Amino acid sequence: MHEMSLVQGLLQQLRELASEHNTSRILKVTMVIGPLSGVVVDSFKFGFEVLTKQDELVQDAELEIVIPEVGYRCSACQNLQKTAGERPHQCAACGDTLLIAEEGNDLILQQVEME
Amino acid sequence: MCDACGCQTHTHDHDHGHGHSQTHDDSVIVEINRSLFAANDAMARSNREHFDEERIVVLNLISSPGSGKTTLLEHTIDRIGSEIKIGVIEGDIETERDAERIRAKGVPAIQLTTGGACHLDASMIHRGFHQLQKEPGGNSIDLLVIENVGNLVCPATFDLGEHTRVVLVSVPEGPDKPAKYPKAFTSSQLFLITKTDLLPYFDFEVAEARKEALSLNPSLQVMDFSATTGEGFEVWLDYLRELVREKKGK
Repeated sequence: MHEMSLVQGLLQQLRELASEHNTSRILKVTMVIGPLSGVVVDSFKFGFEVLTKQDELVQDAELEIVIPEVGYRCSACQNLQKTAGERPHQCAACGDTLLIAEEGNDLILQQVEME
Repeated sequence: MCDACGCQTHTHDHDHGHGHSQTHDDSVIVEINRSLFAANDAMARSNREHFDEERIVVLNLISSPGSGKTTLLEHTIDRIGSEIKIGVIEGDIETERDAERIRAKGVPAIQLTTGGACHLDASMIHRGFHQLQKEPGGNSIDLLVIENVGNLVCPATFDLGEHTRVVLVSVPEGPDKPAKYPKAFTSSQLFLITKTDLLPYFDFEVAEARKEALSLNPSLQVMDFSATTGEGFEVWLDYLRELVREKKGK
């Protein structure tokens, strides 16, 4: 459940953004959670739900989660294969098994909608 | 994910006067694109720079509870404690027990108790390192070993500023840990299979565990040994000697 501490970090960033933009209400938060980020989406949502209740700024904020695909690059032929996260057993183009994940580790606060 | 029902975008009840499917009047959308790991990663980078300046090799040991992290440390200290100055930061949810075991070996050790948190983060290590430096002998170490909270999930996500992340699996745990907890293995540089003296009693194929781990992370280095009998242990000790030698520029 490290998601709880990640949500706490998110709320800290939101508070800073709110004071920067002089707003007292955040309406929507868009997060990108990579399938290889080690973050369990349901736990993150749960943490968000619980922790936002305690803070007027984000009490009514909606959480949108975008889950990007993961690109696996073949180290032999450079072919890029996209999946929902699972590692392909071999390269679809040349059959090599040495595939390196290029993205999917991200946990990004993408967009905030505020009053 | 529940794309179809839309629960992904509606995480809680909206009883506050307007529906979120509509556009908000007078609202401002701000693009941020900032990683939530950014604060921890920045602290980890500064830790690593600090360790480099002091020419200290830092290892981050992660495993399930009971894999033998502390026992590995005890035997490592017994074998090379006289040639390499070791310091230890112990992470646990509660108790000073592990740090006491290490201190009993005459090595500076401090205990970080997370009070329920399932992992260590870079700012805890920053504070912990300064605390360790105040311990007798803590100001002149060559090798810092951070024993993370016993957990194969959360510690894999947090960079502490270590040079090498080491993941341990002991023979009684079974060979399928890499498949079940991939992030611990994709984010590590070294994989230790421990308690190999128990191989006759468990259904554990070293080759299978090795293959599973390498399929996830082809650049992973793998060693297997028993710290208690000492079988295969010299490879690990040589590895540490080499890391320290490189860092000291000798």
